[in-house]
Amino acid sequence: MKISYFETGRYVPSPDLPREWPVRSGACDLDTVSVALRGMEERARFVEALGFDWVSLSEHHYSPRILTPSPAVSAAWLAGRVDTIKIALLGPIVPTSNPIRVAEEFAMLDALAPGRIVAGLLRGTTNEYLSYDLNAAEARARTDEGMELILRAWTEPEPFGWQGRYFQYRTVSIWPRRRLPGLQSYVLGTSAEAGAFAARHRMGLGVSYGSFEAMGRATAYYRQQCAEHGWTPGPDDIIYRANMILGETDDAAEAMLARRDKRAPFPIGGALRDALIEADVSRNVAGVRQPANVGGVLPISFCGGPDRVVEQIRQCRDAMGAGVLDISLTDPGTGDLEAMMDALTLFGRTVLPRVRDI
Amino acid sequence: MSFTERFVDADGFRIRYMEAGQGPALIHLHGAGGLHMTPAHDLLSRDRRVIAFEMPGFGDSAENTQSDGMEALASTMAAAVRALGIEVFDLLGSSFGAKVALWLAARHPNMVRALVLEGPAAIRPGGMRPPSGTAAEMAPFLFGHPDRVAPMPDPDPTVAAKQRRLVGRLRGPDQDAALEDRMRGLAVPVLVLFGTLDRVMPPEMGREYKALLPNSHLVFVYDAGHLIAAERPEAFAEVVGDFLARREAFVITRRETMIFP
Repeated sequence: MKISYFETGRYVPSPDLPREWPVRSGACDLDTVSVALRGMEERARFVEALGFDWVSLSEHHYSPRILTPSPAVSAAWLAGRVDTIKIALLGPIVPTSNPIRVAEEFAMLDALAPGRIVAGLLRGTTNEYLSYDLNAAEARARTDEGMELILRAWTEPEPFGWQGRYFQYRTVSIWPRRRLPGLQSYVLGTSAEAGAFAARHRMGLGVSYGSFEAMGRATAYYRQQCAEHGWTPGPDDIIYRANMILGETDDAAEAMLARRDKRAPFPIGGALRDALIEADVSRNVAGVRQPANVGGVLPISFCGGPDRVVEQIRQCRDAMGAGVLDISLTDPGTGDLEAMMDALTLFGRTVLPRVRDI
Repeated sequence: MSFTERFVDADGFRIRYMEAGQGPALIHLHGAGGLHMTPAHDLLSRDRRVIAFEMPGFGDSAENTQSDGMEALASTMAAAVRALGIEVFDLLGSSFGAKVALWLAARHPNMVRALVLEGPAAIRPGGMRPPSGTAAEMAPFLFGHPDRVAPMPDPDPTVAAKQRRLVGRLRGPDQDAALEDRMRGLAVPVLVLFGTLDRVMPPEMGREYKALLPNSHLVFVYDAGHLIAAERPEAFAEVVGDFLARREAFVITRRETMIFP
């Protein structure tokens, strides 16, 4: 099992910070932001020294919960500051992005840190569509087309045009080009569409936060699709992103779980939340309809002392075939940095050496 | 725009064609399956005079034993255009017809203003054969999403067999060195279109044309199979129409993005 640390730009919010998304920009403390973002280097170096395989980044907007609106900027900052750990962008939100820009940024990062960049392409959670004014009803189709265009931009040696449904370009010819083969690439999502796309293009699949059983259905669908396309994905082809509470003992972890805030850090208000869920009706797990999670509390998938967590990781591996575990050891947005660093240390000392062979 | 069926005599053939529209002439040469009108013909005929030929030996025309190669067929089609009183025209060739069109442009460069190749089959991967069978059997090869297009009528077996014989006899080697030499010297602006889901001619073949044709543009039509005009007529007609109207300048977008003045 490879282990990835999910870096979220750990902003420590003041007690009086508004708690509803979008958080007013005027409440943003720039010194705190600077500490949070520059601290990415310290945390990445810390997990690199602990033996983590990847540090992962994501794209979120308009709140300090995950303070990385541009994963490419975050990755570029880290690329020059770490030595061996891979930097996984999981990932840019494709339907709100210019796909050519995404292709160029990955190619540039891949040249800056050869062999150390991991590319995840993502449809994104429904609330993110508010940030760049995307019609949720078009998100699925824009994602599929955007991903096709990114792959084409990465692989086509001659200048080309693109006559799409949602994207139109007359001339594309990216520099730098991407190394082939090289960039490790994933589609991120649980839907049948994501699994089918990844299988068709021989890409990995990243799933997140759901139960082992539900995510196992998504990865089983993906593996079935891969078989139909004549190949078998390996463990490194499946990523599972999840929350973990790790204590010195099971009881200590359970106590932390009991103390965990039951509210999401920066939730979206009720009426807007309901409207968003209603607007985004194509969410599914392996083809079975699943309502969108709009700014809700994300579940804890692993909880316990080291022995129990090792066993849970083994169960995760068996249930969904994941060979890369991308973890948060305290909830993003909670700002409890000291607790997180302690948990990372504990994980590196007591869990990491025991999950290598899983 | 409704198309009118007409006939013209050239090289001893009586050649059927469909015509609509006014303005600069666009000549269309069809693929190995014969002439099938699509909504893209209608869209293109709004701004130009569209003439879609049924080449000798296709459809209900007599078996063509006279043409002894693609170059000869191209010569016949040039004669047919001239017989209509047209000296200069835009040329669209689809699949098999794209090879005829390339030969026509190579032999008569002063007649062709601009050339469009739809899923061209002038350079083929080894072993590729045109799809055959019933309409339902061919649809998965011809369309990216056969479920999204109106079912095609089954081809008349006699006509289909006649066309297969002709195509098999004329189409030449997978890589035609003589044609490729001529392509390298072709100055006419060329637009090469491939559907991203083309299962007859891999879209990666587009780069072969881009490398050979000195004044060419390669455009991928997303989510379309081999019959791009039939499957995504609006997207096809827009890029073809824009290219024919502005040729090389078509890369400069004129798409407006202002939401409110």
